[in-house]
Amino acid sequence: MNENKVLFNTGSLDELSEEIGKLTSNEDSKLKLTPDNADSGLAKLVLTLVELIRKLVEKQAMRRVDGGSLTEAEIERLGETLMKLELKMEELKKHFNLTDRDLNINLGPLGDLM
Amino acid sequence: MDMMIYSILSVKNNHEKLNTLLIAMKGISGADLYAVSLDEISAVVCDIKRADLIADKTNAIEYAGVIENLAQQFTLLPMRYGSLMESTDLINKMLERNYHEFQQNLQKVENKCEFGLKVFCDSEKLITELRAKSEADIKTPAKPAPEIKNSVYRDWVNKKLKEHRLEELLLTYVDSVIAEITGTLARLNAVTKFKKLSTETTIIDALFLLEKDKKDELIQTIEDLQNHYPRLNFVLTGSWPPYNFVETTIK
Repeated sequence: MNENKVLFNTGSLDELSEEIGKLTSNEDSKLKLTPDNADSGLAKLVLTLVELIRKLVEKQAMRRVDGGSLTEAEIERLGETLMKLELKMEELKKHFNLTDRDLNINLGPLGDLM
Repeated sequence: MDMMIYSILSVKNNHEKLNTLLIAMKGISGADLYAVSLDEISAVVCDIKRADLIADKTNAIEYAGVIENLAQQFTLLPMRYGSLMESTDLINKMLERNYHEFQQNLQKVENKCEFGLKVFCDSEKLITELRAKSEADIKTPAKPAPEIKNSVYRDWVNKKLKEHRLEELLLTYVDSVIAEITGTLARLNAVTKFKKLSTETTIIDALFLLEKDKKDELIQTIEDLQNHYPRLNFVLTGSWPPYNFVETTIK
């Protein structure tokens, strides 16, 4: 970014540079589907969506727990389900050699997916 | 050969001024620029082969540079990079179909420009503070805590609940900063757009549309806000063409 476009800043511009860097070289967070990597590319795509939904479910569940509308037994069952889902996701990520960062796609100006 | 549209301009009776300006400028890859006009509005275009339309950094900077130069002289609506049409005749028809909507949008941004504000924070420090606050709140609950069974699942829920509460605290904090910014900018009649927590360090990503001559007042306002929130890092940029305040669907 042209220096004279920065109208006000008292600290360092490191964070801004880092963010611009992410926008211009977000190679790691791109889905690269080619004939040679169709399996792993598809796994990354599917697991990204599954992880997004899992996190949304988890967030909603925590809202309900925090709201106090669940009984102790329901919280216990919810904890068991969500924990098993989390462990299963870890297993799948390991199987396909993927990290949390791989599943957090950068959506450019919209920021990170998760 | 196709034509790429850079922007739609309100030229009114200044067609000559626009043509003079375009002669002195170049488009991406050194292409000549020219105007396709209908009454008071013009589309600034260049000829381009579809195969040469690469969305890379160099082209994006050159494309933005053209729009930036035009915006210094005219009120305009920037077009998305890669907006192609096949002939001047088709561009004319498009201008005709959308004339009313273009005029409305041009009036909305007339004599105004866009500014960007990013608010960064030392996220670790802020989270530590919020966590300390959260733990203090948990130690003094408003209502009696329910009997908690000791199980691995319950422990997992407690851990997640703690993270959830921390996120909520962070969101509440960010909302309070946004409310402060909005309140302070109200006197400048700025149109504002906010995004919260777009990355780990960017807690607020804001855009403002306001009159060009209020730039200095805006800078002063942001300086005051920075003094009010010393642990946050405010970065104000601009002025920019109104990239994020044009809402039109081209028919």
